[in-house]
Amino acid sequence: MADTASGSVDRSVQVKLVLLGEAAVGKSSVVLRFVSNEFQANKEPTIGAAFLTQKCRLEDRVLRYEIWDTAGQERFHSLAPMYYRNAQAAVVVYDITKASSLEKAKSWVKELQRQANPNIVIALAGNKVDLVKSSSSAGTMSTSESEDEADDATATPGETPSVADGESESLRQVPREEAQAYATEAGLLFFETSAKTGEGVVEIFTEIAKKIPIEHILASTRGGAGRPGVTGGRDGARQDGVNLDENQVKGKDACNC
Amino acid sequence: MATISTQLRNFKEPTKEQLTHVFFSIPEVTPVPVTEKSGSEEDLEKMEINAVLSLGVQGVEDSYAGKLHLIPPYLAFSSLDRKSVRFTLPLSTVRRVERLNARAGVYALSLSTWHSMKIVVQLTSLRPTADLFCGLLREALKYELQRGQMKAVKGFVKSCYSEGLVPTSSTVADNEREDGSLINETKEGSPSPETSYQGGLGLRFKFPGDPKKLREASKIKLWTTYLRTHGRNLTLLRYPQCTRLVQVGLPNRLRGEMWETLSGSIYLRYAHQGIYEQTVAEIQGKTSTSFEDIEKDLHRSLPEYAGYQSDEGISALRRVLQAYSHRNPEVGYCQAMNILAAAILIYMSEEQAFWLLEVLCDRLLPGYYSPTMHGTLLDQRVFESLVARCLPMIHEHFQAVDVQLSVASLPWFLSLYINSMPMVFAFRIVDCFFCMGPKVLFQVGLAILKINGEQLLQIQDDGQFLNLMRDYFASLGQSAHPESSDPRARAISRFQELLLVSFREFAIITDETILSERRKYRNQIVNSIESFSKRSAIRNLKTLARFSKEQAGFIYDALYKAICEVPPPPDVAPAPSLLSTADGQQERPETRIGLATFHVFLSEVLTWARNEKIVINGFQQRIDREVAEHELIDRLFFFWDTSCKGSLSFQDIVFGLDGVMFNDLMDNIEWFFNLHDKNKDGFLTKDEVLTLSESFLFIFRYEIGDAYLGAVSRFMTNAFEYGDTLLPQMTDSETGESGPEPIEPNQPYLNLATFRMVVLADELLESFFEADLSASFRLELVPDLELPPSSSGFLGDLWSNIATVDNKKMFHKFSDELGKTIGKHQVVYRPTIGRYTKLEEPKARESLISPTKATSPSSSVTAISLSSKASSSTLTVDATAAQDAPLSASLSSAVFSPMPHMQAVNAAFMERTPFAIDDAGDDDDSDLESDHDGDDDQVLDEVDAFLEAHDSGLTDADIELAKDLIDAEPVK
Ligand SMILES: Nc1nc2c(ncn2[C@@H]2O[C@H](COP(=O)(O)OP(=O)(O)O)[C@@H](O)[C@H]2O)c(=O)[nH]1
Ligand SMILES: [Mg+2]
Repeated sequence: MADTASGSVDRSVQVKLVLLGEAAVGKSSVVLRFVSNEFQANKEPTIGAAFLTQKCRLEDRVLRYEIWDTAGQERFHSLAPMYYRNAQAAVVVYDITKASSLEKAKSWVKELQRQANPNIVIALAGNKVDLVKSSSSAGTMSTSESEDEADDATATPGETPSVADGESESLRQVPREEAQAYATEAGLLFFETSAKTGEGVVEIFTEIAKKIPIEHILASTRGGAGRPGVTGGRDGARQDGVNLDENQVKGKDACNC
Repeated sequence: MATISTQLRNFKEPTKEQLTHVFFSIPEVTPVPVTEKSGSEEDLEKMEINAVLSLGVQGVEDSYAGKLHLIPPYLAFSSLDRKSVRFTLPLSTVRRVERLNARAGVYALSLSTWHSMKIVVQLTSLRPTADLFCGLLREALKYELQRGQMKAVKGFVKSCYSEGLVPTSSTVADNEREDGSLINETKEGSPSPETSYQGGLGLRFKFPGDPKKLREASKIKLWTTYLRTHGRNLTLLRYPQCTRLVQVGLPNRLRGEMWETLSGSIYLRYAHQGIYEQTVAEIQGKTSTSFEDIEKDLHRSLPEYAGYQSDEGISALRRVLQAYSHRNPEVGYCQAMNILAAAILIYMSEEQAFWLLEVLCDRLLPGYYSPTMHGTLLDQRVFESLVARCLPMIHEHFQAVDVQLSVASLPWFLSLYINSMPMVFAFRIVDCFFCMGPKVLFQVGLAILKINGEQLLQIQDDGQFLNLMRDYFASLGQSAHPESSDPRARAISRFQELLLVSFREFAIITDETILSERRKYRNQIVNSIESFSKRSAIRNLKTLARFSKEQAGFIYDALYKAICEVPPPPDVAPAPSLLSTADGQQERPETRIGLATFHVFLSEVLTWARNEKIVINGFQQRIDREVAEHELIDRLFFFWDTSCKGSLSFQDIVFGLDGVMFNDLMDNIEWFFNLHDKNKDGFLTKDEVLTLSESFLFIFRYEIGDAYLGAVSRFMTNAFEYGDTLLPQMTDSETGESGPEPIEPNQPYLNLATFRMVVLADELLESFFEADLSASFRLELVPDLELPPSSSGFLGDLWSNIATVDNKKMFHKFSDELGKTIGKHQVVYRPTIGRYTKLEEPKARESLISPTKATSPSSSVTAISLSSKASSSTLTVDATAAQDAPLSASLSSAVFSPMPHMQAVNAAFMERTPFAIDDAGDDDDSDLESDHDGDDDQVLDEVDAFLEAHDSGLTDADIELAKDLIDAEPVK
């Protein structure tokens, strides 16, 4: 088993990524956009978490994302540790048209920073940015990312057909600057995204890929039986069942220095 | 952000009686109209009696020994093995009861039900017991007749599909006159099948699966035969054949009715006719967080089913979920309930689904969907432990590679496999689940793991585990043994294999297994949920203020304890679903406590918020604690309620405590001043000065000696004197005397600077504000209540045998009485400040203004009534902890060990030979398309595959007697 793994030509690195955020902010839609580049009214009910994979090329290397898209309802919160344990990356999503969703996002970030893998790369995604852009620019993907950003930053209301634009701008409840400032302070990657238009979605995953300590993972993968931290199991007695004990999530990186 | 639930703590193991009710699916409370006359249901007695049950037709079924239960308004029977034979009959469906003319010493009754089915029960207890039982049965039947339930049957059964299946050719029930009052209608015309039965979306949008492949017609035929002789819907008798027919899959059209019959939700629907419509009417135009959550999930509930691509299906789903959440606000709505509701609505009407959902969430999946989801967590833990015992190799491998079973198994349990495997297969598991109970979920789960055992031992992480399961579920329709040379083996699908492994190899998993495993892990789960919510509550505080995490943890614990003792009233902490979310707040409302809870909380952390009586009675010395009540404590509550909500959150309390616990002298004086300055204008009124003085007296109420009394008295004198001198002086025009302008008692009077000066004039008050006030808040465990009796001897021995809080109370009372009789009983209140331990005259400082006038302290003090009253009950600290303690693991430890069968299973695990059916009948071919007899046989073969030996519990002689009784004549 271990032989085939180490002898394999596959240079892909497996990265476990978890999506967290309030219900209906668009977690599943963001994943769907990333995995199959489509947007449709959500068909998959998420019970606990949905599991998907997607490869992502980064320079000469291929990353294989294992994506855990969690259920957003508050009462599933206590199950989340089961999904973010051992995750190397997290995307915390909020909805820019709903202020309370950023508060929830912050609380997720706090929890991850305290309870998850200490080296976890966290990205904050303000989703549904298409809702606050004029219908013309939101409908097409032709406008380049930078132009969109410029639009947004300078916020020139007169530029596009005014009625629609005025209406949609008023939908925004979280100013980009506010979220950006928070992300910087908390040390997060930050993007505004739209699962609907695709804006910013791939970028999140590429930027996360750049920040992941790939060498680290590779080294440990080669050394162990295909996965870091496998051979010894977890230190001490393992508690069974759904793991609510947050002090058990570490350990992945501990053993391969 | 944190909702603190005490429901877990308050959990009580079901009583034997409750378990019996659960076993027979008898609704918890049968609503009796309150306006009922004196002869209410409460007067009707329950009774159980040994009995032998025979079906009133020769040669159809064996007779079974068991127990007959009279649980008005139901009559229920279970065979001794608790699985072969059982029924639950609403008494209103019993149309005739006759004593049979039999051999001497044999006491037998013949019962006819609405569906003109005759059953014979032989009461095998002693004669007087049997007589008593008959008497009670007669009473209960009479009561049903009186309240008109007998008439309700006819209309109700028409809502059931089975009524159309079995032709109702002039049944006894239609004509008979029982007690001369029953039936008055004339015979109806030809018994054409009623078309008014309740059905699901499947009738319009088709049922999932190919009816031919599902062999619908054969199944219907078999069921028709069974229902003709064994009763149906309300009167169904469950013999082994019933379970076997369920195990091969219910026919689509009958499925909904059988689900409600098997689960017992039909009794709820029967007992609550009209409630669903009423509930739907009530929720018109209402909104709630649950409703919003429901809305988000409507379009992702079995979206592949045509019914849910139409408005009709979506609306039905919405109504059922909303009605449920409205009726059960403490559960509200939980994701996964949408899957269940969507699934059952394919097969049953909204009303049927509504009641079935209630049975699911309440009884079959207890606590699964509650806000803490504790039932889900518990059953995941139980499942994991069963895997460890039954499939140790898989368990060990999962541990070694750190794979969590729950990442896959959580949705299995939460959505009854409906979300995991193709619907046609999932529904067959659901069939078995309703028929055989929750253990089915565990049996199937274990079988899934066992069948995939070899591959599971190869997986290295959670992701591979999920992918393997996904592939397996997608392949359920394929042959389990495609390579086999035996065509019969080839014909076995992987799904059939799954059921066979579930019910054969894991038959060892019984209801008792599940119950005892749940008992074993409940505390562990409760503790981890509690510590999880504690951690998140602390993490989600906007600020810890100046407290350490540990201190915040202590505050949380005290708060939690208070909530356990005095749960916040619903208007303070509305159930999540009732909270309107007009402000766009989506989150669960944070827990907020009301005044009553606050009193208890404060008594945990503040010395003068409790009364501590030191009781000495010559045998023991102990401290009785009581929650103190006083205007000052209410004042604190409102002072800390900065957002004026009439309730306090955890954060409010942290802020509030922070505002006083870290203060220096000057801060404390200001804090105390502000506490009494109600309108926050920077002035105390004269009234407020009086109130403040009362507060002092309350705080100092148990201090030893007169020192504090003197200090407060001087304070008042000084305050008023100083206050007056600062008032604008005016000269009376007539007398020419000058003095302070007269002001009303509610006018601004004393400012902070003055107050400070007055306080600092007194050494004792200064020291109080300097250190004592802050120190009277203590974030540490209040010391134990009892100081165990020092002496050994008689009472000491007694003490060591005392376990429960109640017993302790009794012991206290007893020793108090004893102490009184020997004159040693003595009660002393413990000082809350405790600066003086013995009587000692304090040195009074000179009054700032007019030292000479500092006199007559007591006269002014006594004018103020000291209104500290204590809540009456003695506070006992560890009541909740003590309740949890007796849940011991030993109860269930014996269940698994002596099981050679399972060891054999484990041993055989790795070299599992291809599955072989050893009791399949004729050679057959699953592609038979027509509905001829051979097809029926084939269905039955599948049935027989499940055949288990069942024991009637009777000797041959008993069996003969039972057969005779079937034909016996009634006693004249
Ligand atoms: N306009 C717009 N709608 C979105 C976007 N992402 C998701 N949605 C919609 O928001 C709703 C919730 O999306 P979903 O992915 O299920 O959210 P989740 O609960 O966080 O997984 C769905 O109706 C989506 O169609 C987006 O980028 N733009
Ligand atoms: Mg989702």
